[in-house]
Amino acid sequence: MSITDLTTTKKPDAELRLRVLEKIGEHRPNDCFQCIRCTSGCPSMKMMELKPHEVVSLARLGFIDEVIESGIIWTCAQCLKCKERCPQDVAPVDLILALRNLAVEKEANVPEIVLRNISTILETGFILKPQETITRKLEKLDREKLGLPKIPQPSEKFQAIILKALEAT
Amino acid sequence: MRIPVYWGCVIPNSQYAYEMSVREVLPKLEVDLVELENVSCCGLPMRSVNAYVSVYMAMRNLAIAEETGLKDLLVPCTGCHLSFSEALHFWKQDEGLRKKIGLLLAEEGLKYDGIIRIWHLIDLLHDMVEKETVLKSVKKKLDGLKLASHYGCHIIRPSTLGRIDDSENPRKLDELIELLGAESLHYPEKLDCCGALLLWSRRDGAFTFSGLKLKAVQDRGFDGLVVSCPACGMMFDARQKVSAATVGAKLNLPVLYYSQLLGIAMGIDEEKLGLHLNRSPVDELLEKIR
Repeated sequence: MSITDLTTTKKPDAELRLRVLEKIGEHRPNDCFQCIRCTSGCPSMKMMELKPHEVVSLARLGFIDEVIESGIIWTCAQCLKCKERCPQDVAPVDLILALRNLAVEKEANVPEIVLRNISTILETGFILKPQETITRKLEKLDREKLGLPKIPQPSEKFQAIILKALEAT
Repeated sequence: MRIPVYWGCVIPNSQYAYEMSVREVLPKLEVDLVELENVSCCGLPMRSVNAYVSVYMAMRNLAIAEETGLKDLLVPCTGCHLSFSEALHFWKQDEGLRKKIGLLLAEEGLKYDGIIRIWHLIDLLHDMVEKETVLKSVKKKLDGLKLASHYGCHIIRPSTLGRIDDSENPRKLDELIELLGAESLHYPEKLDCCGALLLWSRRDGAFTFSGLKLKAVQDRGFDGLVVSCPACGMMFDARQKVSAATVGAKLNLPVLYYSQLLGIAMGIDEEKLGLHLNRSPVDELLEKIR
């Protein structure tokens, strides 16, 4: 590939491109013919400097680092409309999720809360901890006061298996 | 009928009203819930971090559900429903993945045989429970109410995974609302996303989504918005004030779960349905029914 990004003079990264392709399996960005149906239905579109079809285009060309570093992949709300409506079965949302996975691997511009979520899952088994709630009459209540049963917890092995699975990939 | 239930994390940790109302209405329709022990996160939050681990996390819960020996699993959270459906898709397709994840499951003495069929509350009420059974349980018809329905993106898309209803023109929730005597009218913003999954990374963006949708529903003159997803419920109900502030609108729209609406029609005590926990002005809606 002989394309050069004129603003950064960077060349496409063929190796990274292959790593992304491996992660998305059946959906091929190469099949995209830029009809822009994904972007026209995207609710996040107005907040994105790079629109979904442009993300697909950059991934197709091999400008992977550029997309990841831009942080734009974290502006997707995962509403899945692009995946539903793509006539070529490219699924921009799956590509964005694959790019997120790669961003985490490379520790590149990942929102801190995403990593904090993982430690909460490891610690408690779930992403949320029980929250106090408040009625419209400003009475504070929790599960117990509402008469709801205790939340289940995963076995002790859970944490070790997740850590092992994370390391294996 | 007995059915195991996987609550996920948003419902049992913050959306108590959804859990309470589901626990109240289902036994009245001869559906008894079986609690699951040892379950963990559905894997959806892990999808952004490591797709492989997210599939393992989903399959782990399905394997635990299978241990009950029952064939169906109720998953009232749309996010968990998507995570499970997607994991099952990969599981069926990819033999290598099946082997690797099978080994991880075996470490806890678990295995998945592919028996379980997953249900969301909406298709369970629409397709599994007989219409007559629902109608028999209704004590108070909700005539005259004009309601807007909101499904939640993840139970209707992507259709390639086999979702509970049509992706562009879902009708099941609307039909369930109409079964109770209320009107469920179409509106152009019906398929718009609530923005909940943006809360982690683009907070203002998330509340712009919810604020704009709420404003549209309110401006069209609906009496209320009926939801069937805990994340959407949280955005439209508990976060209505901040959504309003974000889009510069004055919002005062009753938002409630379908299970709560059904419970009202069944004549169940309002507190038992968690209606005192809704932060949106549901009293306005209740006044119209009383």
